[in-house]
Amino acid sequence: MTPLDPSTITTVAVVMVLYLFVLLAIGWRAARRTHSGEDFHLAGRSLGAWSAGISSTASSESGWVTLGAVGMTFTHGVSGLWYAPGCLLGYLVNVYVVAPRLRPLSATHGSITLTDVITRRWGDPRNVLRVTATAIILVCMMGYVAAQMTAAGKAFSSSLGLEGRTGYLIGIIIGAVVITLVTSLGGFRAVAWTDLFQGLLVAGALIALPLYAVMRLGGFDALVQGLGSISPHLLTASGDRVGPALWGFVIGQLGIGLGYPGMPHVITRYMATRDDREVQRLQVIAMIWGVAVFYGAGVVGLVGRVMLPNLADGEQALMALALELVHPVLAGVLLAAVISAILSTVSSQLLVAASAVAYDVVEETLGKARDDRRSLILGRITVIVVGVIGVLVALTEVRLVFWFVLFAWSGLGAAFAPLILLALTKNAVNRHGALAAMLTGAGVTVLWNLGRDPVGNAVAFGRSWWVALLAAVAILVVGEVSRAFAPADKIAVVAAALLTLLSWWLVQQWGLANLYELVPAFFMAGFAALAVSAVTTSDVQASID
Amino acid sequence: MEQFNLSLGAHLLLWVFPVALVIGVFVENFLDGPAREPQR
Repeated sequence: MTPLDPSTITTVAVVMVLYLFVLLAIGWRAARRTHSGEDFHLAGRSLGAWSAGISSTASSESGWVTLGAVGMTFTHGVSGLWYAPGCLLGYLVNVYVVAPRLRPLSATHGSITLTDVITRRWGDPRNVLRVTATAIILVCMMGYVAAQMTAAGKAFSSSLGLEGRTGYLIGIIIGAVVITLVTSLGGFRAVAWTDLFQGLLVAGALIALPLYAVMRLGGFDALVQGLGSISPHLLTASGDRVGPALWGFVIGQLGIGLGYPGMPHVITRYMATRDDREVQRLQVIAMIWGVAVFYGAGVVGLVGRVMLPNLADGEQALMALALELVHPVLAGVLLAAVISAILSTVSSQLLVAASAVAYDVVEETLGKARDDRRSLILGRITVIVVGVIGVLVALTEVRLVFWFVLFAWSGLGAAFAPLILLALTKNAVNRHGALAAMLTGAGVTVLWNLGRDPVGNAVAFGRSWWVALLAAVAILVVGEVSRAFAPADKIAVVAAALLTLLSWWLVQQWGLANLYELVPAFFMAGFAALAVSAVTTSDVQASID
Repeated sequence: MEQFNLSLGAHLLLWVFPVALVIGVFVENFLDGPAREPQR
């Protein structure tokens, strides 16, 4: 990007500060309506269609939609758009299958978190499911929070004109303080309301900017001719890929959608929706938002490829086009939209991580803080602690934590999405099958990811099969020593270990390394749930009636 | 000067799919709307 003049930086900075004040005001207003633990963790099940619909979608997309998705079409042309049907098919399943069933089920069972849904659906007398689900959520979410805070820090420092390492640190701290404060004050309600504000900002930016940019370029035909003159591959759905690389890419992009039903920060929005009528309205709002945002981002990338031929990093195309094409005040609003996409996800993930600790571990597993006031205070303190840990990880850039981010989407998706779908549609699974599904989803995700690039991950890849075996033995030992495992739980752990090792062998077969790890992990986890349930019996009756 | 065109697959991916999806969502909402009573 070309260096900005000081007056533009000042104008953009003023808009950014106003944006942060709006977030704080929303947090303050939400805090005044938050009086109990259920208020804090689930907004008292009072969300309307707009806040639930936009919040569920905005929180799922992170900076990926304004940066990564734009970069996909900038680099690959129209074929980079395969993520859009993938994500929208995930939205369809979420809003038409998950939301209408999950809302009444969670209200009947009194479930507050995704872990709660699983444990109350199948029973969990020794907290085996709760501890397993909470561990997977915490590992994935903490990495996510830290990575998003890093992204927010970079975006803030560049839009506020802060330079160097100091600018980056100030950027992270500004973003983290505001979002932690808002989440801690207003809990779920503040997160949903700020998501609504930020989601509308993102949608507005991704509708207005591409339309204006295509107009400035001379119309849609000029865009097609511009792309074609760079490379005819940019105008096809396959791009320059052939054979296994093509089908692996297409199935992998479509497979992104498999993860949506397993995202705790997304499906808790459905649990918090007021009634069935609001769920019905939410379906239209979420789908229209998705189409506008995914295709808007795609067109921004295509226009950027033609208008900004010298741009080195395609992911910067939205910001570069904003600064190139519109008045600094509007550019500030568009940059705020980029940061909004990141912060709306940070706040949601911060709350999920805090709910996992405060509600699932302290309140449910350890049996503390049962009254409303203590539950609320515990929730607020936990958000602050998780926020501070996220900032420290982001500042020190602990590599191990960022390594987990690689698996965050696919790990959560594979561990929970098949399970949630089975929980809502079938009575064929018991709690041992649920345990097998979570362990298989997490295990296959990690091994498949490592196996996709055995040369680049040579050290980790060579050790991965016996690390998986050791992990299974360790889980069995802990379960045995703590006397938490029933005999059927041991069958679940062994089944998960076998399927995980099978995936390590499968990924090395011809062409399969091209496949995104979520696809095999999702189906193997679903198979594990059904197979283990078929050969074991549970003392707790499973029923969705 | 050479004229470039989108391939058939690109047409489907770029605008046929999203337009069909939006129409489908509105039709489903219209058909299903009156049947559902609010239920807490």
